[in-house]
Amino acid sequence: MASRSRLSQAQAAWLLLTPFLATYALFLVYPFFRGVWISLHDWNLLAVAFNPDAKEFVGTRNYERVMWGKDITWSLFNAPILQTLGLVGLVLSVFLRRMNRLSRFNAIALGIVSVLLVFLPGFHPGEGGRWYDRRFWPTVGNTLVFVAFAVPGVTISALLLAAALNRETRAMGALRTLFFLSQVLSVTVVTLIWQIMFSPRQGLIANITETLGGTPINWLTDQQFAMAAIVIATVWWSLGIAMILFLAGLQDISKDIYEAAALDNARGWKAFWFITLPNLTRTISVVVILQIILHFQVFGQAHLMTQGGPNDSTQVLVRYIYQTGFRDSELGRASAMAVFLFLIMGSFSIIQFVIGREKG
Amino acid sequence: MKYVLLGAAMAAGVATMAPAQEITLGRFFGACEDAGTDTTTSDGEACIIQSIINAADAELDGISINTLPTDWGNYYDQVKAAYAGGTPPDVHVMHRHRVPEFAGLGALAEISGELEGAGIDASDWSPAALDAVSYNGGIYGVPMDFHANLWHVNMDLMEEAGLVMDGKPVLPTSPDELLAHAQQFKDATGQDYLAADFAQFPIGVRVVLALMWQQDANIFTDDGTATINNEAGQNAVTAITQLFDAGLANPQLNYADSQQAFLNGEAGILVNGTWVVDFYTAEAAKEEVGLDNYYVADFPTLFETGATWADSHMWAIPSSLEGEQRAAALKVLAFINDHNIDWARTGHMSVRTSVVESAEYQALPHRDEYTGTAAIARDTPPSARYGAIQDVLNRELQAIWLTDKPVETALADAEIEVQDLLDR
Repeated sequence: MASRSRLSQAQAAWLLLTPFLATYALFLVYPFFRGVWISLHDWNLLAVAFNPDAKEFVGTRNYERVMWGKDITWSLFNAPILQTLGLVGLVLSVFLRRMNRLSRFNAIALGIVSVLLVFLPGFHPGEGGRWYDRRFWPTVGNTLVFVAFAVPGVTISALLLAAALNRETRAMGALRTLFFLSQVLSVTVVTLIWQIMFSPRQGLIANITETLGGTPINWLTDQQFAMAAIVIATVWWSLGIAMILFLAGLQDISKDIYEAAALDNARGWKAFWFITLPNLTRTISVVVILQIILHFQVFGQAHLMTQGGPNDSTQVLVRYIYQTGFRDSELGRASAMAVFLFLIMGSFSIIQFVIGREKG
Repeated sequence: MKYVLLGAAMAAGVATMAPAQEITLGRFFGACEDAGTDTTTSDGEACIIQSIINAADAELDGISINTLPTDWGNYYDQVKAAYAGGTPPDVHVMHRHRVPEFAGLGALAEISGELEGAGIDASDWSPAALDAVSYNGGIYGVPMDFHANLWHVNMDLMEEAGLVMDGKPVLPTSPDELLAHAQQFKDATGQDYLAADFAQFPIGVRVVLALMWQQDANIFTDDGTATINNEAGQNAVTAITQLFDAGLANPQLNYADSQQAFLNGEAGILVNGTWVVDFYTAEAAKEEVGLDNYYVADFPTLFETGATWADSHMWAIPSSLEGEQRAAALKVLAFINDHNIDWARTGHMSVRTSVVESAEYQALPHRDEYTGTAAIARDTPPSARYGAIQDVLNRELQAIWLTDKPVETALADAEIEVQDLLDR
């Protein structure tokens, strides 16, 4: 009889979970499916606001208009460097797995990435054909380039900083705070600071170059430097969190190991290479994947510092989605792109989940 | 007498106690913190417009105005999102080129029947101004100005280069002469002849458009066919690129840097709009600024017909606004319309005949130097995709001068993309 007045464990769990689940469903799950729904329509932002019937169901046409083209064909060696790289990767993954030099998981991961590298860049418009949207894939490419530079940039510099600052002195504490401070700034402030830094007329960098007798670089309007400028600002901005994660990881490494290593004459750089790094692999993979997911969503830096220019060289996916949705009012198309971005980030989340399970 | 005074005091008390109608106002032009309420002494676009708004807030009975924080670059995105969310500002500024998009969807209030009641005399607007706010026979806003591209001139450098005659700059009349002047200028002064933002904002696009219009060409026709990759387009682009190729102008300067180069005395001519005339006049008067002798010229005609890029700022109210709120919003529009002369101090051209003819207007600094601009003001045919089309042109033109993309390829690409936008 007593059990009637009490909730079972499962019931209690559901009760306690309800506030979270309701919020989650309302603010994340519903908007997500709503986005997918919108992506299947010709949906003008303003027109639908004034007349809810102004939308038209078009199936997957938005996806086709964004990602596909007229007379698209596939060929090996359309993008020789990337595709060769993919083939090499594929051979390596099979070979290393056979030799037992690679875990099954890593072999599969390398294999998948390699197949994608061979497969995806092979598409191109044939004779007389064209992409329907000529900006989409270059924009995806720019986003990948950004991620490819920003993620190692943040990871390596945060790791080195964390290793250098991992000491219990007051000065190190102050430095840690200092390096973390940039993280709390908003993107508008960060980009403002860096726009001034990069200015060829008033900027600090230009002044230093001029003092050293060089000609200042037009960082933000030179196609060779614009992306680099955005990456530099981003690394400076997002060092903090990565550094804190690394510091936490470093403090988990037992002092005994370092003492033992010191007896074997492994100090400084050697200790870092043979003790610190191997013990940090898990932290590194978490940081890398978090950074990948984070930086795929880059927007503010490109929007505020270069406006996607020059010649679209810093146009990134989220900015393109924003422009398509708000400037051009084409919510359907914008949602289709957003779903594409979700798939990319979703796959990295799955990788993170798998890694977490495999070694945890 | 005592009773009259008492009555007046009570009436005043009742008037101030009446709940104020709050009008939200959206605008670009930048922020001005301490604009005050004196509309006759403020400087620059941001402070002049804010002083007018502050004055309206103070002087209009029963109306208080709340200026929403908005930013230049994302203004239309913000306004659109506000409309889509059902909470547009009660009064907002916009460009004439956006009328087809906003009025076409029914977002803007048609106010032709309410102007007179609000104290706005539409017959005082010039025909071009009326045209700017008209769409399909209706009136969708109150025009505030015409603004256009001008050539801002450093007369000391031009004098040094031998390009001044009778106190006026000698400007080119053909692309060949443009190159010759630029070379002559470089040889004499060592500086760049011409500067403009060719790298970020679409000032370069506006220059190329003007040079196409000067050949009686346009980037697309009224019936929606893109016409960019042709002889006129190539002539227009090469008129500019010849300067870059010869090292007589720098395509990599953005808005702030090109302006700084001009103010530092490092460029003879800056191509920029009417909105900076009062600012440059003030800067030229300063001891520490390199520019001393400032002159404003109409955009010169390098081909057959005179033409320069132009647009209009105007104020509109959303169609959803009704009743007292709508009446209050119209009063704000009327107040801004009454202060057209103050806004003209920026350097913009007035839309009101009575203002243009006033001695006060004609006495504004440098005003007599660009009187020809009103007659050559042009813009592209109306399109709901104006913003996206400008962006395509800006990208492809930047590709030409910043990344050495061949002119013909870039113009062909631009034509395909603009056609895509027109077809959508």
